[in-house]
Amino acid sequence: MMELRLKPKVSGLSIPLEAEVISPDVVAGKTLREVEELRVYHGNRVETLSEYFEVEGEVAPNPEEQLIIVEGDVSWVKYIGAEMTAGKVIVKGDAGMHLGSRMTGGEIIVEGSVGDWAGAEMAGGLIRIRGDAGDLLGAAYRGSPEGMRGGCIFVEGSAGYETGTGMRRGLIVIGGDAAPFTGAHMNGGVIFILGRAAKRLGAQMKGNGSLIICLGEVEELLPTFVYDTTYTPTFMRIYLKTLSEKLGIKRAEEYIGRAFRRYRGDRAVGGDGEILVVERG
Amino acid sequence: MEMMRVNGVEVEDTFAEAFRMWGCRVIITAKNQKWADTAAMEMTGFATSVIMCDCEAGIERRLSEDETPDGRPGTAVIVFAHSKKTLIEPLVRRIGQCVLTCPTTAVYNGIPEEEADAMLDIGKRLRFFGDGYQVKMRLGDGWLRRRRFWRIPVMEGEFLIEEMLGAKKGVGGGNFIIMGVDEDSTLEAAERAVEAIHRVPGVITPFPGGLCRSGSKVGSRYPFLRASTNTPFCPAIKHTYPESQVPEGVNSIIEVVINGLDEASVRRAMAEGIRAAVEVEGVRRISAVNFGGKLGKYQIYLRDCLGGEAS
Repeated sequence: MMELRLKPKVSGLSIPLEAEVISPDVVAGKTLREVEELRVYHGNRVETLSEYFEVEGEVAPNPEEQLIIVEGDVSWVKYIGAEMTAGKVIVKGDAGMHLGSRMTGGEIIVEGSVGDWAGAEMAGGLIRIRGDAGDLLGAAYRGSPEGMRGGCIFVEGSAGYETGTGMRRGLIVIGGDAAPFTGAHMNGGVIFILGRAAKRLGAQMKGNGSLIICLGEVEELLPTFVYDTTYTPTFMRIYLKTLSEKLGIKRAEEYIGRAFRRYRGDRAVGGDGEILVVERG
Repeated sequence: MEMMRVNGVEVEDTFAEAFRMWGCRVIITAKNQKWADTAAMEMTGFATSVIMCDCEAGIERRLSEDETPDGRPGTAVIVFAHSKKTLIEPLVRRIGQCVLTCPTTAVYNGIPEEEADAMLDIGKRLRFFGDGYQVKMRLGDGWLRRRRFWRIPVMEGEFLIEEMLGAKKGVGGGNFIIMGVDEDSTLEAAERAVEAIHRVPGVITPFPGGLCRSGSKVGSRYPFLRASTNTPFCPAIKHTYPESQVPEGVNSIIEVVINGLDEASVRRAMAEGIRAAVEVEGVRRISAVNFGGKLGKYQIYLRDCLGGEAS
């Protein structure tokens, strides 16, 4: 891949910068000069990328071959990799809100933590977050009927409120703890929680294969989730192997062959989604 | 007829006449090898020849835990039928009756979509057995190869089957016949041949133990019977049947029938089988069954399989 490096010239802006141009789709095929002149939005002002970043490296002819490395903390930059379709973005620090929102392909790696709405309504591609994620990870925007529709988000740390709200397809893996309302309004898709799952898990979850798998402790399940059985489903092996082999989560293999308690709901809305909780001991 | 010799055994310069068939590889996994094999054997029962069976099926090989999608022991089965259409029903029935019912089993596609000529919606059809409680399992949407499975609740737990199984145009009816001085040497040679054949990927031997002792010919003297014993190759009537093709000194003949997912695999399997068979003392001649080239799409010459090898 051809590497384009962006070095922040400033830090900790009080008004965040909107820079959806930090995407392989936007920069591919342009000259370095043209990349420097790309528009970014700072409050109500339209400015250029070069006012905030030093731009160096190579620009690829197409997005598939483009790697963008953002050096340092850019928690003040929103929409990095938004709507990207291919290529790769690496952020060597924290990133701001809406990272990878509505993306359909490619890969984003964030070595720090991310703000709210990361991967919101994404339909494809892979987002890896080494740190924590804010609220509404992979969620539906307000007024939108569907959240994440495909792709995978792997947060090695913890995730905030309403992760996967309105999720329809795809996979979210939370390596740490999950805040309340994770998987609310889900209508498809799979969420793995390796840490502690907080209250209101799967609230108003419908069906269509919606599945939340808890490998850690569960604070409390809604009473509208009905316990069915404790069993060792074969399909779990497929998911756990995928986590291990494709995402490098080796500890997932420890749960292969383990028994799970199966709950169905949310019966409050006639839902037949599932929450599977690993059996302790 | 011209002959070549392999390990001192006569090999007729003739061909096996084989047919275009559609094949589907099904991977069965279970808690242990015993149950994977049990399901595979049940599923491939009564599937020797499409003359009287709904399909031709056999076990390809056992699969180690590293080779299966769920990391459990498995058995690969290949099912053949005349067409894509006629392959669907036997698969649905056999998986439904023989694998779904077998404790701890799961079923996965054995031919990836990029290698398949068609994807058959077998799991999609079988899902209705769940009576509305089946659950669709999705994998890979938008970031890996997209796969779909169905989880069907059953009394023992849950049956898992992949939604689509890959099928491809293959070859059925590859064969050779082993002619020996007596039953024991002929059977031993045939057993060794089958053992060698099963080291070749992508092939099965659908007859019992891989062997067909009663090769058949088209038609009979009875109007109601469309196939009958292969009289020219029956040693018991070699001096009374006028057109007998049983050589002097030969008193037992066994046919090995091979179906494969491609012609190259069938050729290789025939070669491996013949080379193993001629190692047995008492084998006099190797030949093959054909219909004069009038019926089958493929004419697989023994000399070509063996690469003109002679010694």
